[in-house]
Amino acid sequence: MRALGLRARITTVFALGALGLSASLAVATYELTRSSLLDERERAAVRGAYLDASFIRTGLGGADPDIVAALQNLDTGEVRRPLVRRDGQWFARSADNGLTTAIPDRLQALVDAGTPAVQRVPLRDSSALVVGVPLRAVGASYYEISPLTELERTLGVLASALGAVALATTVAGATVGWVVSRRVLRPLASVAGAAGSIASGDFTARVARDSDPDLDKLAVSFNRMVDEVSARSEADRRFAADVSHELRSPLQTLSAATSVLERRRQSLDDRTAAAVDLLTSEVARFESLVTDLLELAKSDRPAERRPTDVVALTRAFVANRQLPPGVLDATGEAAVLDVDPRRYEQVLANLVDNAARHGGGVVRIGLQVADDQLVLEVDDEGAGVPLDERDLVFDRFARGRASSMRGGSDGTGLGLALVTQHVQAHRGTVEVLDRPGGGARFRVVLPGEPA
Amino acid sequence: MPRLLIVEDDDRIRLSLKLALEDEGYTVRDVGTAEEGLAEHKATPADLVLVDLMLPGMDGFDCIRALRRLGDVPIVVVSARDDTHDVVAALEAGADDYVVKPVAVKELSARLRALRRRASGSGENDQKVLRFGEIELRPEAGEVLLGEEQVHLTRTEFRLLCELAEQSGRVLSRQQLLDRVWGYEVYGDERLVDVHMGRLRRKVERDPANPTHLVTVRGLGYKLAP
Repeated sequence: MRALGLRARITTVFALGALGLSASLAVATYELTRSSLLDERERAAVRGAYLDASFIRTGLGGADPDIVAALQNLDTGEVRRPLVRRDGQWFARSADNGLTTAIPDRLQALVDAGTPAVQRVPLRDSSALVVGVPLRAVGASYYEISPLTELERTLGVLASALGAVALATTVAGATVGWVVSRRVLRPLASVAGAAGSIASGDFTARVARDSDPDLDKLAVSFNRMVDEVSARSEADRRFAADVSHELRSPLQTLSAATSVLERRRQSLDDRTAAAVDLLTSEVARFESLVTDLLELAKSDRPAERRPTDVVALTRAFVANRQLPPGVLDATGEAAVLDVDPRRYEQVLANLVDNAARHGGGVVRIGLQVADDQLVLEVDDEGAGVPLDERDLVFDRFARGRASSMRGGSDGTGLGLALVTQHVQAHRGTVEVLDRPGGGARFRVVLPGEPA
Repeated sequence: MPRLLIVEDDDRIRLSLKLALEDEGYTVRDVGTAEEGLAEHKATPADLVLVDLMLPGMDGFDCIRALRRLGDVPIVVVSARDDTHDVVAALEAGADDYVVKPVAVKELSARLRALRRRASGSGENDQKVLRFGEIELRPEAGEVLLGEEQVHLTRTEFRLLCELAEQSGRVLSRQQLLDRVWGYEVYGDERLVDVHMGRLRRKVERDPANPTHLVTVRGLGYKLAP
């Protein structure tokens, strides 16, 4: 089960507190009321019993008295039931109705021994008070049973009323907890909102100051943290821009100057021409190395998705690279997908370059476009990628074993790392498989919408 | 020979580009500041201008704006900066194209050639007139009228409008427009098209925010609706 949220916990604590308080108050109220009512009933019952007992003693004074008649003459009101026990025999006004069995033996023994006694006993569904008065002068015991049905009904009503009040108090407590917690958690909610904006790149998001000094501390320190993070991120950005500028500027000079040399290659002697060729190819490699490194440095940038006709883009790429048109194997029900066209083109170009460099050239570009994703496969007929190298090839500056044995390559070693970065910016996947029939197959899956 | 003006504060880049572009057949003048560049262009108007963005004194953005006020000479930004922000700001200021250093001379030369191209047309009939609502386009004469008023477009804006007009209502994708107007054969920066389309709308649409003729077709590109 998931742990309860802070707000739910605060609400629960408030509800439990209200429940505890109201329940103990209710129990105390009930107990006090109950015992005072019972005491009062007991006193009344005892008073009545003694009065009646004196009448019975008088009635049993003569020889061979009519006990039942004496009992019937008693004015006991509606509720009190008189009983007489003499010589082990019970006398009542009418049929027993189980009254005598309700009188416990210990009470009878006590009364027989000459001690008056009062006890509360269960009687049928409810309970009753039994008052026993010894009539030693006439050799009998007098009992009066007063059912407590009325009292218990009253107590029942009281209990339900108190229970309802306790329940209402608990609900009120929970409501107060819910409302109070919203008030208390509001600063947290605004911090969460601001943190979300910052995570998505908006460094201008700040938390509003709070009038409460305790909460204000949170807002102030959060805002200070954001200031520092954004200053640092801005410094990083500026550093990257400066580095980029400092690297690109001399490369521009090199590139333009070598193109002047290259144009005059025909008029150079062989040694100079060979040197110019070296210079030209290394400047070109250096250019792509710097471009790739600067691109890799932008790893935090999100994909700039826009509806893109990836099939048309791929076809234009194939034509521009002068690959045979048959190399493109495009299927699927859609052609347009929300992807970053610049990144897609770089993925395609780097995979095709990789196939040319390490796999003897691309033999098939499979492209399957659906509404929600595209699957791009670039196949070559080279030696393939051994299983234990399949993760390594995507690392920076990883080169295929074959190429390092050849002792050099015009690649930067960053092509597949860039592919990985572009694919990750789309939350897609890239993997290398065996091509049926030999060679390597690089498969890229780009989802059309951010997952 | 087309006259090319290079505004670039780095002496070595300026000299190497001058040498390389002279090889490509341009008559090159080169200056180190925007102020000098503007004076040079006023004295002898250039056919093409290359501008760096980071310049001492007046910066590249202001330089582009000032050049734009003087006329519709094609302007290409050659910058080490590739932030979206810089690219869009430079295009909004009035640049026709944007390349990031280091750019190969062949590539730069292709960009410049594309911008020098005239609006495509059959050339059969100088009096050809295309009408789209209030917009009246004369491809051969290089004129655009909005109602009775003559509208002044840069060469690139005019070619963009003509390419869409030639299709008479069919949709052209951004990549197709990049190919036809800017000469990008494979992948070109689609922001070029979007910013130029915005500029064009501000000139020929009555309500540029709700265009009725230069319409965006989501997922496909743009079309010129009658």
